[in-house]
Amino acid sequence: MAHSTVGSLEQYNYDIVKKFTIMAIFWGIAGMTTGVYIASELAWPFLNFDTAQITFGRLRPLHTSGVIFGFGGNALFATSYYVVQRTSQARLWGGSLWPNITFYGWNIAIALAGMGYLMGITQGREYAEPEWYIDILIAIVWLIYFVIYTMTLLRRNQPHIYVANWFFMSFILATALLHIFNNLAVPLSFTDTKSYSLFSGAQDAMTQWWYGHNAVGFFLTAAFLGMMYYFVPKQAGRPVYSYRLSVVHFWALSFMYMWVGTHHLHWTAIPDWTSSLAAVFSILLLMPSWGGMINGIMTLSGAWDKLRTDPIMMFMITSLSFYGMSTFEGPMMALKSVNALSHYTDWTVGHVHSGALGWVAMISIASFYHMIPRLWNTTMHSVKLIYTHFFLATIGILLYITALWVSGIGQGLMLRAFDDYGNLKYSFIETVVFMHGPLVARAVGGLFFVTGMLIMAYNVYKTISNAKNNPRIPTNSATAA
Amino acid sequence: MSKVYKDPITGVETTGHVWDDTLMEFNNPLPMWWIWTFYATVIFAIVYWVIYPSWPSGLVEKGYFIGTSEITYQNTDKKGTTTAQTTHWNTRALLAYEMQNDENELKRKKYLKEVAAMSYDDIAKDSDKSSFVRSYGKGIFGDYCAACHQTGGQGVIGHYPNLVDDAWLWGGSAAEIQKTISDGRKGNMPSFAKTLSDTEITNVANFVLSLSGTEHDVASAKEGKLIFNGKGGCMACHTPAGTGLAALGSANLTDKIWTQADVPHAKDKVAVVSAVVKSGIQREMPTWKTRLSEDEIKVLVAYVKLLSAE
Amino acid sequence: MMKQETVEVNAGYLIILTLIAISIGGLVEIVPLFYVEGTIEEVKTADGKDAVRPYTPLEQLGRDLYTKEGCYTCHSQMIRPFRDEALRFGHYSLAAESQYDHPFQWGSMRRGPDLARVGGKYSSAWQAKHLNDPRDVVPESIMPGYPWLRSNDLDYSDIVAKMTTLRKVGVPYSDDDAGYQANVEKFGEKVAKTLDINKAEDNIMLQAKKGNYDGDPSRLTEMDALIAYLQVLGTMVDFNQYDEKYFIDFR
Ligand code: HEC
Ligand code: HEC
Ligand code: HEC
Ligand code: HEM
Ligand code: HEM
Ligand SMILES: [Ca+2]
Ligand SMILES: [Ca+2]
Ligand SMILES: [Cu+2]
Repeated sequence: MAHSTVGSLEQYNYDIVKKFTIMAIFWGIAGMTTGVYIASELAWPFLNFDTAQITFGRLRPLHTSGVIFGFGGNALFATSYYVVQRTSQARLWGGSLWPNITFYGWNIAIALAGMGYLMGITQGREYAEPEWYIDILIAIVWLIYFVIYTMTLLRRNQPHIYVANWFFMSFILATALLHIFNNLAVPLSFTDTKSYSLFSGAQDAMTQWWYGHNAVGFFLTAAFLGMMYYFVPKQAGRPVYSYRLSVVHFWALSFMYMWVGTHHLHWTAIPDWTSSLAAVFSILLLMPSWGGMINGIMTLSGAWDKLRTDPIMMFMITSLSFYGMSTFEGPMMALKSVNALSHYTDWTVGHVHSGALGWVAMISIASFYHMIPRLWNTTMHSVKLIYTHFFLATIGILLYITALWVSGIGQGLMLRAFDDYGNLKYSFIETVVFMHGPLVARAVGGLFFVTGMLIMAYNVYKTISNAKNNPRIPTNSATAA
Repeated sequence: MSKVYKDPITGVETTGHVWDDTLMEFNNPLPMWWIWTFYATVIFAIVYWVIYPSWPSGLVEKGYFIGTSEITYQNTDKKGTTTAQTTHWNTRALLAYEMQNDENELKRKKYLKEVAAMSYDDIAKDSDKSSFVRSYGKGIFGDYCAACHQTGGQGVIGHYPNLVDDAWLWGGSAAEIQKTISDGRKGNMPSFAKTLSDTEITNVANFVLSLSGTEHDVASAKEGKLIFNGKGGCMACHTPAGTGLAALGSANLTDKIWTQADVPHAKDKVAVVSAVVKSGIQREMPTWKTRLSEDEIKVLVAYVKLLSAE
Repeated sequence: MMKQETVEVNAGYLIILTLIAISIGGLVEIVPLFYVEGTIEEVKTADGKDAVRPYTPLEQLGRDLYTKEGCYTCHSQMIRPFRDEALRFGHYSLAAESQYDHPFQWGSMRRGPDLARVGGKYSSAWQAKHLNDPRDVVPESIMPGYPWLRSNDLDYSDIVAKMTTLRKVGVPYSDDDAGYQANVEKFGEKVAKTLDINKAEDNIMLQAKKGNYDGDPSRLTEMDALIAYLQVLGTMVDFNQYDEKYFIDFR
């Protein structure tokens, strides 16, 4: 059954993968630098400089869209196009036109959205901030993406669809569904940027968090699991630990994720039964989520020896650990009683970034380091710099998350603290003062992480220009096994 | 798939599929600990499900198919009759229950009642009660009042009056302070930019400064006195002696305490006072009776009195 | 039963089955909210009118500025039923109170205090001063200053388009006599007048003049609108009229 035709460079459309990869690194640096900036604004508010365009409220969506859709989105386009071609042993469908439309469409959408935020054009709903015309652009790009992906799968020279592609497919479908329903809105007119969402109040909240959670569930989890399922076994040179586990956890994840959005609305004015259901399904999600972690870590552990010497593997194992940690923390925070404390505080933001930096960014970075030499048919300029990147990233994340545990749990406890007479012990502003220290530490942690990203950019730049200066013999099959 | 494929290195069974030259999958079973932990979460989920409301059901009024927890709280209806109410678990009933049963909360309420029934003198004398007042005040003052009067109650000259000095615009008796907090106040002094010329304003400012024995131009103040009691009509609100009227909230100009004109810090004191006269004062203390109960306001009054006594 | 093998070799099955798997959860949780009675509480005033009304045009413009500036990134508008929140922020929020909010602004972070009941908590003068430079009044604050709100004139040229659009998504603004009469019935005459699209501009002027939110009666600024919005937050329902049981029974 095994097909072992070695993929020649002409066989695949690498051009599109290269473009998306470079844009991912660009948005990564831009989005995370914005992250460091807004983190600093919270620590030192003078940084808002009384300038509308750079106040926290306008920059924050720039950060979240920049990293999730800019960095994460481009990374997913890049890796999914790479993976679907290589595991189907077929060239990407759509010639160079259609894939390029997704590239330009997606990146223009993000750039337009970002510029809009700075000017105050926003729908004011988390992670869905782009206004209606950008939403339409995104929907079109997404539809094309779906067609390209499906057509390429249909072209496969391989009877079986590889597990990575199930996850990518699930992500593409779910994102389409969520994006379209959540962004239903009526514009003032076809020439006006402003629109009002179709739903209001409690229903709007429900739709938004159904979307919001699954931006996490499918965009930031399922899709990156797809990435993991290709690059981890490739880099380790070992088979995936358990096929059966991947089947079970794939279906369980796809089914259950959609139920849990309401854990973002515990104790609010929505009916309690929806929030109970969300808590229940969040707990049920723990093991299906961990299925991916187990498959990843056990696959890597087949190559323990490499783990000590290969910085890419170090990124992978760390990212899987953070994945495991954040998907453990998530269900805990989804319990009503824990959420009562954590909601509205930095604990949530810490959780977000243990997933976003620890899992999403780390696995993407590892995949880039694996993929880039193959795309440009060369070797990485410096392995030492990959090590440096790894240490900077890890220190940065640890600092980030620990600081926010302190600040989040601290604030949560202070706000509900009563003194001996049963009176409120602290006023709100005292908690703001308390959080200053941790917020400074978080900004520093972020700075570490961005520094790592800059080193990666330099390393990649050198790698690519070296490759152009002295082309080498293809290393594809030589390094893979 | 009857044929069994094996990984050459470990000899473990694979599914036999190969992608991209090297990608394979072991056919390992699900790890036992994974399965058992999953079952454990299922059991946890079921228990959770049974405890909390899980599905709305049209069958029983406001009932849920599953969801066994109940909460009993006391409801006092508009006629004043209190009855026990039992309902399925929900966040609102839980709060009602807590407000009626939490030990800490009951203690708070008990103190609140006791303090409300005491005279201010007695509160001040009772160290336990006054530390309750301090404890209550700290949190509420911090969240409700400090935005204007600042954390220690020292206010912002020119905007929000100092509550820790002995000077009161609206009177320092408990009843007056109570009224201030409960109903709010609107400080209102007209602008004299149109009615008085600049020289007249300078003169009257010098006179105002003279009232508190602050350095001033004596000749100018003499002129100013005439305006104060005549054309300006200042005495109508501030009294001819300049001591102010609590009923109007007009400032006492004879003490050395300033709320609007920042005289102590000003180099050109005449200019500062002139500016106030020129622009007048319109400012507002919000109403709190819609947010706080009578008892709570009483405790705040006691707190404000404590602050100013210190 | 369909085997994984089948799905794995057939992209069509994979797509369809995945679609089914991901559709169920959302359907089950969201659809009932539009139908289940009591999701939105019924809140009537003593004379039988709806207590929660749509925003006046000035307030709505202020609300648009609130979303524009991204205040929701720091402020929640959703008081949860907890003892500490009751003491600190006031009565828990009802679903009814945000029923005309397109989009909802419940928020997910509290960098600053909850604003669901900030209306009337401070004077407009304080709000203006605070928005201009928060550290002027709260030295420890980390909130950005918004001085341009005071210098920017309020753009209300699209108010009719805005109200008409909001009407399309379900906010009962009126543009004809029948609509107006229905509003009189529902909200009383005083409120109905403010919901009349044809009188939107007059109503903006009237309210801004009366409220003098930014302290400068000679100009109509963005500050006027934003503060008008802040000052109405959480003030529509008089909780003294209801006993505990009333709102509990909706849950
Ligand atoms: C929006 C700002 C603001 C807030 C909040 C505020 N105040 Fe005031 N307060 C004022 C202003 C302005 C005055 C002066 C009114 C005047 O000049 O007539 C004042 C006056 C007073 C006075 C009378 C001072 C005097 O000299 O007579 C007292 C007492 C007082 N406030 C107590 C409180 C308490 C207690 C709270 C909290 C429950 C509070 N204030 C909240 C603005 C505020
Ligand atoms: C209609 C009543 C009224 C009249 C007339 C009036 N005032 Fe006042 N004045 C007030 C009130 C009320 C305050 C306190 C306002 C506040 O603190 O909110 C005040 C405050 C002041 C202050 C500030 C005191 C401080 O502590 O900083 C000065 C100075 C002053 N008045 C001078 C004058 C002079 C001079 C005139 C006449 C030219 C005058 N006032 C006329 C009502 C009046
Ligand atoms: C970077 C975070 C941040 C942003 C963005 C922000 N705020 Fe704040 N806000 C705070 C903090 C912190 C406080 C508490 C300290 C204070 O009163 O300044 C606060 C307090 C407030 C208060 C007083 C609340 C109370 O009950 O004391 C109001 C009203 C307010 N903000 C309105 C706004 C509006 C309107 C916007 C947008 C135009 C906004 N805020 C944007 C952080 C922020
Ligand atoms: C250098 C790296 C980064 C820094 C310094 C950083 C910093 C921040 C800051 C300061 C916030 C605002 C939190 C608040 O409101 O208090 C934030 C929010 C957020 N960031 Fe990042 N970030 C970084 C990287 C990332 C990455 C890589 C992702 C995703 C892939 C990400 C996703 C998010 C999300 C989803 C939020 C919103 C969280 C919430 O609403 O709870 N961030 N980040
Ligand atoms: C089983 C897995 C997970 C569960 C059950 C879960 C659960 C939760 C819960 C309960 C919250 C807090 C909601 C609130 O109080 O407002 C939350 C927030 C969040 N989580 Fe997770 N989480 C999981 C995994 C992840 C992962 C892997 C990421 C990766 C990137 C992630 C990203 C986020 C984000 C971005 C938010 C913030 C949303 C916001 O408030 O803006 N989560 N999650
Ligand atoms: Ca959108
Ligand atoms: Ca004005
Ligand atoms: Cu979630």
